[in-house]
Amino acid sequence: MSEVIGRAEIAVTVLGGYLGAGKTSVLNHILRTTEQRVVVLVNDFGSVSIDEDLIFAKDEDKITLANGCICCSMVDGLASALEQVRALEPTPDRLVIEASGVADPTAIAAYAHGRKLRLDGVITVVDAETVRARIKDRYVGDTLLRQIKAADLLVINKIDLIDDAKRASLRTWLSETTVCPTVESVQGKVALEVLLGVDTRSPTHNGNHGNHGPASAAPGSGSPAADVFTSWSTTVDATFDCEALIAVMSGWAEDVVRAKAIVRTKGATGQPDNRTVIHRVGQRVTSYDDRPWIAGESRISVIGLAGQSDQGVWHTQLLSSIIQRDDCDWMTDAATDGSVPATDSGDRYTHQP
Amino acid sequence: MDETVLYPARRIITMNRAIPFAEAVAVRDGRVLGVGRLAELKSWGPSRVDERFVNKVLVPGFIEAHSHVMAGGAWSFPYVGFFDRRDPQGHVWKGCGSIDDVLERLIEIESVMDDPNELLVAWGLDPIYFAGERLLAKHLDRVSSIRRIFVYHANGHLATVNTAMLGASEITAASTSPGVARDANGQPNGELQESAMSLAKAAFEKLITGWSSASAKWNFAFEARNAGHTLVADLGTTRLAVPGQREAWEKVVADPEYPVRVMVALGTGLGGPVDPPSMAELAVQLRAESTDKLYFGIVKLVIDGSIQGFTARLSWPYYYRPPEGHHGNGLWLIAPEQLNEMVSVFHAAGLTIHAHCNGDQATEVFVDAVEAALEAHPRWDHRHTVQHCQMTTPAQYKRMAALGMCANIFSNHIFYWGDQHRDRSIGPERAAKMDACATALSEGVSFSIHSDAPVTPMGHLHTMWCAVNRLTSTGKVLGAGECISVMDALRAATIGAAFQLKLDHVVGSIEVGKFADFAVLNEDPLTVDPVALKDIEVWGTVLGGVPFEAGVGRV
Repeated sequence: MSEVIGRAEIAVTVLGGYLGAGKTSVLNHILRTTEQRVVVLVNDFGSVSIDEDLIFAKDEDKITLANGCICCSMVDGLASALEQVRALEPTPDRLVIEASGVADPTAIAAYAHGRKLRLDGVITVVDAETVRARIKDRYVGDTLLRQIKAADLLVINKIDLIDDAKRASLRTWLSETTVCPTVESVQGKVALEVLLGVDTRSPTHNGNHGNHGPASAAPGSGSPAADVFTSWSTTVDATFDCEALIAVMSGWAEDVVRAKAIVRTKGATGQPDNRTVIHRVGQRVTSYDDRPWIAGESRISVIGLAGQSDQGVWHTQLLSSIIQRDDCDWMTDAATDGSVPATDSGDRYTHQP
Repeated sequence: MDETVLYPARRIITMNRAIPFAEAVAVRDGRVLGVGRLAELKSWGPSRVDERFVNKVLVPGFIEAHSHVMAGGAWSFPYVGFFDRRDPQGHVWKGCGSIDDVLERLIEIESVMDDPNELLVAWGLDPIYFAGERLLAKHLDRVSSIRRIFVYHANGHLATVNTAMLGASEITAASTSPGVARDANGQPNGELQESAMSLAKAAFEKLITGWSSASAKWNFAFEARNAGHTLVADLGTTRLAVPGQREAWEKVVADPEYPVRVMVALGTGLGGPVDPPSMAELAVQLRAESTDKLYFGIVKLVIDGSIQGFTARLSWPYYYRPPEGHHGNGLWLIAPEQLNEMVSVFHAAGLTIHAHCNGDQATEVFVDAVEAALEAHPRWDHRHTVQHCQMTTPAQYKRMAALGMCANIFSNHIFYWGDQHRDRSIGPERAAKMDACATALSEGVSFSIHSDAPVTPMGHLHTMWCAVNRLTSTGKVLGAGECISVMDALRAATIGAAFQLKLDHVVGSIEVGKFADFAVLNEDPLTVDPVALKDIEVWGTVLGGVPFEAGVGRV
């Protein structure tokens, strides 16, 4: 799945999953740990409980959080709510749409395009303890299956409630059911970089991201996700063949949970080169030309599943999509210690001069 | 004590077993004092004989147990539907049989509008009857290239707008909401589907405002009265938990000129109530505040989607010929587990639940939920009702009978969508079995029939005609085995509806002690050719002893 889209400003995450799977836990985790300016759309405030300690102000159709994030209800329908989000000043970094427990996230994701919006991906949360039984339920099995198949990233929540044998069997079953990458969590805690990516584009966040530790998957945070990711990033002073790079990034297997490339690509004849941004969430790849390339190195960051990912292969494949080396050295930094460093250390790439 | 008025009539059909037919009815204090022979009734004491109905046939006032106040709100806008339709003032709008007819009507309306900034909103468009041709922006541009035009389709899922409206709403080739339909060049073609309708913000807001206004409530009542109805349920449209909604109804209905009684169900929104216990508390509290003319206390839930929209929840083998890319089954609007909880809460609170179930699987989960609630909390005479009940099977009817449930059957579907159901959505056998009034009758389930107005026009002579004849819009019989007699259809449209609204002690038949609510007909439904049932002219109604003539009244 690869889609070329227009310049986008708001990354959209659709958060799906059946009743009780833990969508609200994931949502609260995002709101508690994010440094992005996040807007959340929910069907109804009553259906989602934002942790009280996060709330700064609350009125009929909007909850404002202390960290600047806001939560709105979709009483007038999704299209209308999206228009309101587009009109927000300042433009938020991220929109998270919480689907109802019986909704098909694909139907919601279909709206997350167009002016100012970029669909980052569908995250479906399943309940480790009950998903196998639910999927056999004659009434809701198909609904659940639709949600799982809609996912670009699947979160198996409540993993602490099942034993190792059940866990292994569940992983096997899921790998036969869907090709999307799967992460495990307890109480919805998944490394934020995995959920939302490594976007530091927001002008309100100036610099030093690279020095931040993992937002959520730090050892001791209780998240079993902490030891399953490996992250790798590389910078190179080179110009890429955009289509070849997209093909490479689209071709990776499901061990790649997320990837992001901000690279120099050839402009049209007589035009300056482009700064092209390519996102991969699960199997979904989207790209857009951000603005003319100005200076600096291209950068590619990948988060993969530890033990399954072969960084050497990624590297070799990426090399093949370069059409012109502007200097010679690849600089690679990788972390396999279980943490997920914020790989985009380059504010120099993301700030307007 | 008011005076006693005696109304002799050509015939009175009472739905009252002791005296099924009578020549006169005596009315005092807004109630039926007695039915029988005129001479007999005079023995009640001094009275006045009112002969205005001597050539008319009186039946119990029709009761529409499933409609929506938008049925009145729609008439804030001009009608461009396929079938002839009578407006609340009694004027019959000719059906628009083609796109040219639609355009001709819009041009006529546009030509007398002064302010070019005023929106032209029309409703009722039904292109499924136009042999594949769709109304698009390029057509509407012939009406005006300046004025913004918004045409709302009959199915409620689509609107067509003109180029001026696209421009003003900033809907362009770059708009990628999936509901924005496009031409071969990727340009918006003017069709806005589902949620995308709200992109034409100004018009959509005008539409919504029109639906909930006071004039919507008046037109709702006028439309009901014109078709012989004396009690209508606004089934779940009004969110009574929102401040001011109840008061708005109270204000309008209290007007002595307001010509119907209204049952306003507690609407909880698609997806159901967020907090069932507090909703239950509200419904119980509202029920206690009911008056003789305005009733509260029933709860509406919507479990699945629509059959023609392929969103109803069906049991195996699911849909017959669904559109490409369809997932195979429809959508739950309330998850079964949540439904169990909601039903349990409302049931335990002593309320009656009316649940929208189009598909048989939706019926199944509702019946399951009621059964579970009854096991946990035994309660007699709850009258929980399966609304629409379109694909309910004989086995399900048996369970409903055993559990004391009612059915409200969407008979009008047979005429309006029967051909599509047979050929496309569910196939010949299940289409022949749908809206199974005869099965409900034989399994002993108390049932009514309904229009779901504005989805189809309100009018029990038409819903009765559908239940009796089962003719589709192309004139084919859909499952003759489920046809019922005119008498049974009349029972469903009167006392059957009263029963499921728990108002059969005051309305639904013409008998001593009940409200003097009658439908006044120009022909006798029991003697006309059953195929002509829908064509019987309605003089109007009597509500609480007061005559209300059809087609009269302000907006």
